[in-house]
Amino acid sequence: MRNANSAAILRAEAVAYRYADNGHTLSPVSLEAEAGGCLAVTGVSGCGKSTLARCLTGLIPHLYRGEMAGSVWIENLHTTTTSLWELSERAGMVFQNPAAQMLATTVENEIIFGLENLGLPRPEIAARLEQALTQFGLIALRGRDPRSLSGGEQQRLALASIMSRRPAALVLDEPFSMLDGDGAADLVAALAELTAQGAASVACEHRLEWLETLPGLRTLHLAAPHPPAEIAHVIPPLARKRMPFMLDVRGLSVQRGVHEVLHNLEFHALGGEVIAIVGRNGAGKTTLLRALAGLQRAEGVITVDGGSPNLGMVFQNPDVQLFNASVREEILYRIAAPDRELYAWLLKALGLERYEATPPLLLSEGEKKRLALATVLMRQPRDGILLDEPALGQDDGHKTQLLHLTRALAHAGQLVILTTHDLALAAQADRLLLLAEGHIIAEGTPAAVLGDTEACRRAGMRTPERRAEGAR
Amino acid sequence: MSTEHKRRRRHEHRATPALVENSPLRNADPRVKLALSLGLSLAVMLPLAQVATALALYTLLLLWARLLPLAARQVWRLKWLLVVLFAVDWLFVSLELATIVSLRIIMLTGTFTLLVATTTPDELRLAFEWLRFPYRYAFSLSLAFQSLNLLEQEWQAILEAQRARGAWLPPQNWRALWRGLSDLTALTVPAIVLTTRRAWALTEAAYARGFDSPRRQAYRQLQLARLDWLLLGGAILIAGALLAWRTLLTGRLAM
Repeated sequence: MRNANSAAILRAEAVAYRYADNGHTLSPVSLEAEAGGCLAVTGVSGCGKSTLARCLTGLIPHLYRGEMAGSVWIENLHTTTTSLWELSERAGMVFQNPAAQMLATTVENEIIFGLENLGLPRPEIAARLEQALTQFGLIALRGRDPRSLSGGEQQRLALASIMSRRPAALVLDEPFSMLDGDGAADLVAALAELTAQGAASVACEHRLEWLETLPGLRTLHLAAPHPPAEIAHVIPPLARKRMPFMLDVRGLSVQRGVHEVLHNLEFHALGGEVIAIVGRNGAGKTTLLRALAGLQRAEGVITVDGGSPNLGMVFQNPDVQLFNASVREEILYRIAAPDRELYAWLLKALGLERYEATPPLLLSEGEKKRLALATVLMRQPRDGILLDEPALGQDDGHKTQLLHLTRALAHAGQLVILTTHDLALAAQADRLLLLAEGHIIAEGTPAAVLGDTEACRRAGMRTPERRAEGAR
Repeated sequence: MSTEHKRRRRHEHRATPALVENSPLRNADPRVKLALSLGLSLAVMLPLAQVATALALYTLLLLWARLLPLAARQVWRLKWLLVVLFAVDWLFVSLELATIVSLRIIMLTGTFTLLVATTTPDELRLAFEWLRFPYRYAFSLSLAFQSLNLLEQEWQAILEAQRARGAWLPPQNWRALWRGLSDLTALTVPAIVLTTRRAWALTEAAYARGFDSPRRQAYRQLQLARLDWLLLGGAILIAGALLAWRTLLTGRLAM
């Protein structure tokens, strides 16, 4: 079916979708994306941005069995009646997690995979391969395993793999969520270039600060599926307020093979503090949290007032933690005499009240992260909690909720240590530790650390403003 | 060193091997390595004394290919399986059967190492495609091989996360072991979720780049070099010799 009435490359008319397995829905959306333009689709977690991205590229309805309404046209081809391989030649998609979309064992083969599927002659594939490697700065990495690249490099490779196929439209699903400052700056530069070359791009993203640096950006806001949960400001009803204490880290080193991930770290943290660990992908942030939680073999000494620390850890990927049949069972798992008051407070503070009987696997990514946090807090770790990238996939409302929660725990005397790429979140901490190549290169208040231009440059902590300044 | 540290160190030694780049077989044609592995694996048909001889000769081949330490590590990883099988076979059948079954498993593990430690999944896909496997299955097989490393990493991540919330701790006694087995769901549910999710992400990524296109043209093509011809000749000789040996010893070709 063809629609010759529109000049737009991508066009959606009242497109809506309902998943067959979990009942999540996308409310009707209409949009148009034109050549040389960039459209940012924003909205809270769970509003359907990823679903819309899949509708715009034809993955829905071809790979999903839910109910779709409305129409999507890619270069005047209707997505329902055109085969998926034909649609993929016209609209490319870059997914949220670049590591999860790598199909080959070398950077070269990753790009070649998509070119082979176009049926191009060998010389043409060779020419496009070289062009893509050059354009996306991958020449030196051509023989590397994609899984060994940094997040930013993987995202560039994902873009190169799609753009070498020369689709008229590009759809990106939360492309910035896993990137550090340098990676995000690289992605914005690549997007600006592609847009200048005439590609139509649609980026589904709730971190707009990077996209806003693109010239001529249009935005479309998707409505929230539920009213935002009420934020609990009160101090959590923990069994008792923690007495003042000090976490002491001395000579902490972690070796992995021949590579030293952390080198001789020294720092202190007091009960009641919120500390953010920042740095580029691979700087050792997660390894440091794992060492503090006692999950990582390490040299050196980690003590709380001379004894072993007792810190609960919330992992970056909640799927590794959740397995029970309902949210309630998940939170109360293996707790002999649960504190009912704390349980009720956690449900309210983390916006999980309406999901008490829901299986955790049916929750959105943001909701699962909050549930994983609840399971750890319910166990009442004595000294506090460690949060690995808690802001990942969370919209501004939920980040605010998270901030209130961490503050509430700190008021109760608990220590909160978190890792994040989100500098807006990091700026709300009491203290920042800036990690680069396994060393703490700066430590202090957020204003002092983020104001240290040289340290931030070393740690890859570019911000949209800095990028704009650099461009000028 | 604490028990936890010992456990961790053991795990680090168990990490799934990467490619052995300095092996003389690394750049050999994947079809030839497949033939060589299949040819060598015919040694499992031999009786006990001959299996032991074949294993000794095969050890020399691994030594030349700089794969012996890796193959030894792979066999070491199977030590508990080997111990249990050996004990059961010895207890219920005979010492001879227990020995031959163990040697056969060691032999097969070694031949599998020869192929996997010197061949990337992409190269393996090319070999399968040349063998006229439908592209869809050849591609899926190569993805499955790539996922082996990830599976182990994910399993460790799940173990760690469950231990962090006290859901799965190393059993200290029989009662704890029983309780641990009873809530094995703490490990299996996340493992199934992560595997399914990864498989689905790869499916979407492949289709988003035209995986089902009828126009596909392969870019890379395999070509046999001098070493490949030599190895291929060797593989045919080995297979022929093993079959002849077996026939000579037992008077029949089949097992």
